[in-house]
This record gives sequence, structure tokens and C-alpha cells, in this order.
Amino acid sequence: MPARLKKFGMAVGSLAVFTAVWQLAARRYPPEQFPAITDVLRAIEELAVSGELWGHIAISLARFSGAYLLAVAAAVPLGLFLGRFTRCHQAIDPLVQVLRPISPIAWFPLAVLWFGIGNAPAVFIIFLAAFFPMFLSTISAVRAIPPGYLKVATNFGANPGMTFLRVIVPAAFPGIMVGLHIAVGTAWIHLVAGEMLGAQSGLGFMIVDARNFLRTDRIMAGMLLVGLLGLAIYRGMKAIEQTIGRHWGVNP
Amino acid sequence: MIGGQRTVKITLRGVEKRFRTAHGEEQVALSQVNLEIVEGEFICLVGPSGCGKTTLVNLMAGFDKPTSGDVAIEARPVTGPDPDRILIFQDYGLYPWKTVLENVLFGLEARKVSAAEARKRARATLELVGLRAAAGRHPHELSGGMKQRVAIARALAVEPSVLFMDEPFAALDAFTRLHLQDELLRIWEEKRPTVVFVTHDLDEAIYLGQRVVLMAPGPGRIQRIIDVNLPRPRDRTLRDFAGVRRELFEEFHLVHQQAASMMEYSI
Repeated sequence: MPARLKKFGMAVGSLAVFTAVWQLAARRYPPEQFPAITDVLRAIEELAVSGELWGHIAISLARFSGAYLLAVAAAVPLGLFLGRFTRCHQAIDPLVQVLRPISPIAWFPLAVLWFGIGNAPAVFIIFLAAFFPMFLSTISAVRAIPPGYLKVATNFGANPGMTFLRVIVPAAFPGIMVGLHIAVGTAWIHLVAGEMLGAQSGLGFMIVDARNFLRTDRIMAGMLLVGLLGLAIYRGMKAIEQTIGRHWGVNP
Repeated sequence: MIGGQRTVKITLRGVEKRFRTAHGEEQVALSQVNLEIVEGEFICLVGPSGCGKTTLVNLMAGFDKPTSGDVAIEARPVTGPDPDRILIFQDYGLYPWKTVLENVLFGLEARKVSAAEARKRARATLELVGLRAAAGRHPHELSGGMKQRVAIARALAVEPSVLFMDEPFAALDAFTRLHLQDELLRIWEEKRPTVVFVTHDLDEAIYLGQRVVLMAPGPGRIQRIIDVNLPRPRDRTLRDFAGVRRELFEEFHLVHQQAASMMEYSI
């Protein structure tokens, strides 16, 4: 317990130092250029009281979860299939290797041409950002299944359906979870980018909008909220992962 | 065994297995293997690494096909794996996300045994291997010896007529190994399946087997078959046991020297 207390103390301490340095440094600059943390907190309060903030958060979360779930629905079944059928994987892998290094942001002009302005381009970008980590880790999770697991299933005469649902999917599950976990991070990062480029709402839009009015305090307020919400989502994901891991007999 | 009712269970005739290595060279893993295994027999395959004992057991279990020659069970050629012949291996092959009971149930469900009947049989086999109390635990909570018992229970639950065991106790500590050898004998005497047991431990082979098949490498082949006519329970400290052991050791030493000189040659 003291070790944990110490860790907590360290965290609080470093945050306090960071805040103090920020506050002091901000005195040397005009608030339009570098607002103090107190200004930023006031901006958050202002946005919260006016109700504007909640709308942006709600729409950002909706886009994020919608695009993320779409990515899960596409990447996991496709990954399971390609992980199982090596031939298909070999055929499609070069294409994946070319597409993967293209930043989802680079897709933006196309996304607008194809889907117009509104939710769709942002959702498309988040989808792309989430898709590849999920897809690739599902494939490698399936390919990493110990051959013994399949040998046992064959030996006992399990049919292909039973082998797939009762052996392959659960055996790959922990590896798939790793991909889902990484994808939360990349998807959340690209959410802001997507909203900054084309949307008329959401936290990303809020930041761009604040820039247009030179409300630097609101820019930083938006950034801070993006960070905090991202942290909360990440933590939630980790908790789910641990619960499942325990249920799966992987973590004690 | 004696008195004319020796039904042949497994027949190997002129079995040969060749592999092609990554460099494209052809390697003979098994050459001219002839063997008859009698129903209900406990037979042990021993030999140094590279003698093809695992390959041979995989051929018999139907996971691999011979390049030439015949592998037959009850006079029918083996075409693939079958739930009537279960292979048990060193690293258990248990599903970590399933409990002990669920692991045992897996084989029964694959065989489409009704849920109630499956449960009954799974519990009975867990009882047989002494793991009734561990039914609700996950494999990672078990010791190596317990995991292998679960694998044995999972196999026995589907009532196979043959058990292939590929170095099943090799990863266990000495005490657990001795204990599980006795357990296996007890189960074998109760259920009387045909057991083909692969090991590299000569003592283990003599303690368990009615016959010990000594294999040699380069190419993998049967060097000698020794009948172990010792009464059970066998006592490792008795002179008769030591006699069989000396015989096997001398033969093994010969095989081992061959293997060693070959290794030098290939290095």
C-alpha cells in the first residue's frame, strides 16, 4: 500500500509542478498566445455552462463509437478469415502493406468527394484509423494459434463450424483484444483530426472554431478535454480487457 | 494375451516416410517399419531423437500419411484422425479458456453426445483420474501433472480403443512422473485400451510396456523389440528389472553411438 501511495504522490506532485510552470510561464505572454491554466479552466466552465460543450462531446463520442464498431464488424471477421486461409492472405497482403502506411488524414480529400461534408468523412477517417490495427492483429492472432489446439479438435472429430466457433475464435480472442485496444488509441487521435477537417460539430470542430475567433483558451480547453476523455476511454477498455482476461483463464 | 485370442489391432507393413527439407534434400524419417500391435497391448517406443518415433505415432494416429507402405487399424487402412484413437502429447493441448470440466466435455460435444450424458461421463472420467475437485478450475491454475491428467480424462471420456501417447510425461518432474505412470497403469488395467507410448526414458518404457520397441536413427527404423515379461506391479529395484534394463541399455548404447557418430558427420 505505501508503494501505491508513493506512486499517487509522485503523480500529484508532477502534475502540480506542471501546472505551476504553466501558470508562471503564461504570465510572460498575452493570453491570445499562451493562456494560463486558470484561463483554460474558466473556458471549460463557460462552455459547460452554456451547454455548447456537452453537445460537442456527445457528437464526438457518437462518431467515435459508431466508426469504431463499424471497424470491429469489418476487421475482425475479415481478419479471422484471412488468418485461417493462408493463400488468401498471401494474395491480399501486398495490397494491405501499401494501404497501411497511408495516413487516414490523407484520405480526407477523397472522403469529402465521396461522402460530402458532415458526419461521413470524419466517420470514414476514424474507421480507417481503427481498421488496420484490428485487422492485422486478428490475422496474427489466428496464425499464432498453437497447432496442438487444432490437432485436438480434429482428433475428437469436431466439424469445421465447431472448430471455428469453439476453438479458433476463443483461441484468437486475447490477440484480437490487443488489436481492439490499440485501435481505441489510434481512432481517438484521428477523431479530432477528422472533425477539424470537415465537420461542423464535435470536439475537433470546437478547437478549429475557437482558433477562428482567436480564443486560445478554448483551443487549449478542447485539447485538454480530448486528452482526458481519451484517457477515460483507454482506462475503460483496459478494465474490460482485464475482466475478459480473467474470465478467459489467461490472467489470474 | 495368451491362448489364441490375440487380435491384431495395429499393423505397420513396410512403412516409409520421407520429407523434403527446406534445402530440397530428401530425408528419410522412417524406413521399412514392420510392426504388429495386439489389441489391449501396452507398447512403448523408445529411441534417441531423430529416430522417427513421433513421426511413427503421427502416422498411426492418422495425422500424417506414409510415403509408402501400409498403416492399418483392425485391418482397415488409416485415412485420417479418428475419435476412436486419441493422441495425447507432451504439452497437453488443453484449451486455456475452458475449465477442466469444459475441456473434458469438448471431446464429447464434438461426438454429439447429449448434454446430460456428456456431463455424466465427463464427471466420471475426472473421478477416474482423481480430478473431481478440480472440475471448475482453469488449466493455468493446475500443475503440469494435473494438466496431463485432464488431457487423459478428455481422451478417456470418448472411450477410444487406442491411446497414442507422445512423451506425455517428459515435461513433468521425477516424482509426478512416477506417480502418473502408476495412475496410467491403473487406468489401463481398468479400461484396457491399446496404448502406444512414446518416451526417451528407458526406465519408463520398461516399467510400463509389455513390449519395448527400440528405434534407431539415420534412417529411423526399428532396431529391436524386447518383451518385458515382468510381473506387475513392477519393482524398479529388483534384479529382473535390472536385467531388462541392462539389455536395453546395451542395445541403446549401440544405437546411441551410431547416432553420435552420424551427428559428428553431419556437423
